[in-house]
Amino acid sequence: MIILLMLIPLSLMLLAVAIGSFVWAVRKGQFDDMETPAIDILREDRPFPPDAEHTEGRGHG
Amino acid sequence: MADAWTLGTAGSVHPIDALNVDCAVDAINQVGFETCYHCGEALPASPVLLDVDGSVKGFCCEGCLAAAQWIRSSDLGDYYRLRSAAGARVDVELSDLAVWDRDDVLADHASPVTGGLEITLLTDGMRCAACAWLIDRALQRVDGVLDVGANAVTGRIRLAWDPARVPLSSVLERLTFLGYRPYLASGAVQEREKLADRRRWLLRLGIAGLGAMQTMMLSEALYLDVNHHMALYTRDFFRWVTFLVCTPVVFYAGWPFLLGAWREWRERHPGMDTLVAGSTLLAYLASAVETVRGGEHVWYDAAAMFVFLLLCARMLEQRARRIASSQVDALARARPALAVRERPDGTRESVPLTALQVGDVACMAAGEAVPADGVLLDEQAMFEEALLTGESHPVAKAQGAPVFAGTVCHETPARIEITRVGSATRLSQLTRLVEQAQAHRPPLARVADRVGSGFVVALLIASVAVFIGWRIHDPSRAFEVTLSLLVISCPCALSLAVPAALAASHGALARLGVLSLRAEGLDSLARATDIVFDKTGTLTRIDPSIGEVQTFGGMSADEALAIAAGLERDSGHPIAAAFASVLTLRTASGLRVHAGQGLSGRVNGAEWRLGRGPFAANQDDDGRLWLGDGTTAVARFTLEERMRAEARVAVNALRELGLRLHLASGDAYGAVERLTRQLDIDDAHARQSSEDKLALVRKLQAEGRVVAMVGDGLNDAPVLAGADVSLAMGEGASLAQRAADMVLTAPSLLRIPAAVQLARRTQRIIRQNFAWAVGYNVLALPLAVMGQVTPSLAALGMALSSLMVTANALRLMRVSVPESSP
Repeated sequence: MIILLMLIPLSLMLLAVAIGSFVWAVRKGQFDDMETPAIDILREDRPFPPDAEHTEGRGHG
Repeated sequence: MADAWTLGTAGSVHPIDALNVDCAVDAINQVGFETCYHCGEALPASPVLLDVDGSVKGFCCEGCLAAAQWIRSSDLGDYYRLRSAAGARVDVELSDLAVWDRDDVLADHASPVTGGLEITLLTDGMRCAACAWLIDRALQRVDGVLDVGANAVTGRIRLAWDPARVPLSSVLERLTFLGYRPYLASGAVQEREKLADRRRWLLRLGIAGLGAMQTMMLSEALYLDVNHHMALYTRDFFRWVTFLVCTPVVFYAGWPFLLGAWREWRERHPGMDTLVAGSTLLAYLASAVETVRGGEHVWYDAAAMFVFLLLCARMLEQRARRIASSQVDALARARPALAVRERPDGTRESVPLTALQVGDVACMAAGEAVPADGVLLDEQAMFEEALLTGESHPVAKAQGAPVFAGTVCHETPARIEITRVGSATRLSQLTRLVEQAQAHRPPLARVADRVGSGFVVALLIASVAVFIGWRIHDPSRAFEVTLSLLVISCPCALSLAVPAALAASHGALARLGVLSLRAEGLDSLARATDIVFDKTGTLTRIDPSIGEVQTFGGMSADEALAIAAGLERDSGHPIAAAFASVLTLRTASGLRVHAGQGLSGRVNGAEWRLGRGPFAANQDDDGRLWLGDGTTAVARFTLEERMRAEARVAVNALRELGLRLHLASGDAYGAVERLTRQLDIDDAHARQSSEDKLALVRKLQAEGRVVAMVGDGLNDAPVLAGADVSLAMGEGASLAQRAADMVLTAPSLLRIPAAVQLARRTQRIIRQNFAWAVGYNVLALPLAVMGQVTPSLAALGMALSSLMVTANALRLMRVSVPESSP
């Protein structure tokens, strides 16, 4: 049963990491739009034509 | 939605001469599947053609063609592959976007970010995720744009740009150019507040989920120790760890419930939140006490699961309503409101609506809304007052006649002298009527609240009694039995019964094309006994159709119709829609629109005129449409309102559902009479003002009837607000939509009976859920009082009963969408 003294704090640490990463993701706006990114994988990436100087945004916010 | 992919002939394009193509297109048009490649609307007689990937595609206008060409040349052609709905039609004339660069607009709606400004816009053309993708890609290439985020679900675009490098108007020009018209969202502060609020809820849900999972796992270890082999210090170690994990769930994730309970206590009105917060806190605090005492049982898992399940239910409900309300925002179409004012020297300037003063002269182009009440300065003008009065025909006004804000200037530009502005206009009076009517709604007894507060009080009294009883009978078990009683009667199922069913049916309603804006609407709709219809724009379409055709001088009616249809086809004339159903191979050349008179053009080598009597055929003006060569008449068309194709089916379906039908219209007796006969409605009222309609609804309510109202216009808004439940048409006025409980986004009346059926099913499911929850409690309470139920068994029963209730509610998600006729 002594092993529990190590395993339980370990699981609590994992829980803290999970919650921390979830909070980070929400704050970063990862969950603001659940629809649009789904179709992004369907297109082939090609370089932008030089129609205007493209400013790198953060992508989907 | 017609499929735009089956068009064109694959292979190389031969130089076909234009006439042949026209005929070919016409032939396909008669089959009825030739649509614009970009926006999916029907093609005009002479479409714009472009060779796309080796096949000829037709476009309805230069705007759509330009948009498609730009999309292809920018390597964004994937848009056409990814989209699930056709794009929006592109207006060739870009609307006046300079408004967006005004400092006062930017100050109200944009907020500073690093490197520039950020603004949230609404657009009405985003149909699917591919649109959002296209907007993202297209705007990001504009020099000076820092960041774009388009969300197809809410119809919002978040745009950050650097005003020093690019004005907002030129970014929006590209947006407009692709067929998405920008509108103002509510202020930047509210937008940010909405987003922050959503994120807070999401955080709560995530923490409740993760925490409840861990709490469950740790409790499981304690539950499995049936024979008490576990050493006491191990058991207490587990309990303290559970306490640690459970605390943030109860106090952070469950905060909204605690806050709500506090409010309910302050108002002396115990309701659902009191119940939820009370049970959670009791389970949690009792467990904490037991942990300290080293008692028999802990119930941390009950508290954590409870918070998690309820948060899920609330989130579902909120999400459904948020999507609905954001779509209605997009329907409301606020623009930086401007009017054109004429200076004393005759030059014109654009000014904000608020700057208009009594005595100013305002000018409207054809098709523009009138900015304020006033009197007409021109000789003659036509105004479309359908939304304000329900009058189906445009009203001709002479010099000096009153003109109302909110009506639309028809056919010719007009100038008015302003007599009333702001809150004095007829439009504002209607808005005030709406607010009054909403304030005097018959109070709705919330069954859940009623049951809830009764239940809470009864439960508290019962547990005190049980505690005292057991103190006398067996003091050592009194505390434990009382806790079992509280856990087992923990009204999980009871409090989930309504939100779960509502969330499921809101989702189903949205799929039906009915946006539900107020939670109570569904309940009233299920109980409705009478339904009152507005006529113009609701049972009928605003655009006219051809009724009687009289011909003179030996021309056949078909021939006359064909010529008229050829003339009207590409005119963009308001009545062109009436001739859209006439199939014709004729095309007009040299088409000219004579404002306020009609059209002239050459068809088959002959010169024709179509329009008012004096202009077209040297006849008296009798309000009908004449066809002639300017001196002799060959045909006369009577235009009448078109009943919506599905009106009869919808009305019959409503009658079968046991609803009494009424018609209240602002239109003249004749038109109302005709429609009443066609649809077989028993109770019709014509020439009704907003106040008359409201009085009719009040009279019915006084007889104890529950009244549903369906309308679309500004004049219906007060009635929509005053009826027990109201549905506004999605194509109608935004004020009407704000006053209504539900908005029909699908242009089909068939959705009304479908919504009524769904509302009744929802009510049935809610009743079943209540019956189950109450039944379970009635069964379990005596057992708990007798001391026969251990708290762990109580917690299991509670979870199972919540699952039952949720599963039952999910049955509402299955809904069949009635076919809407075009």
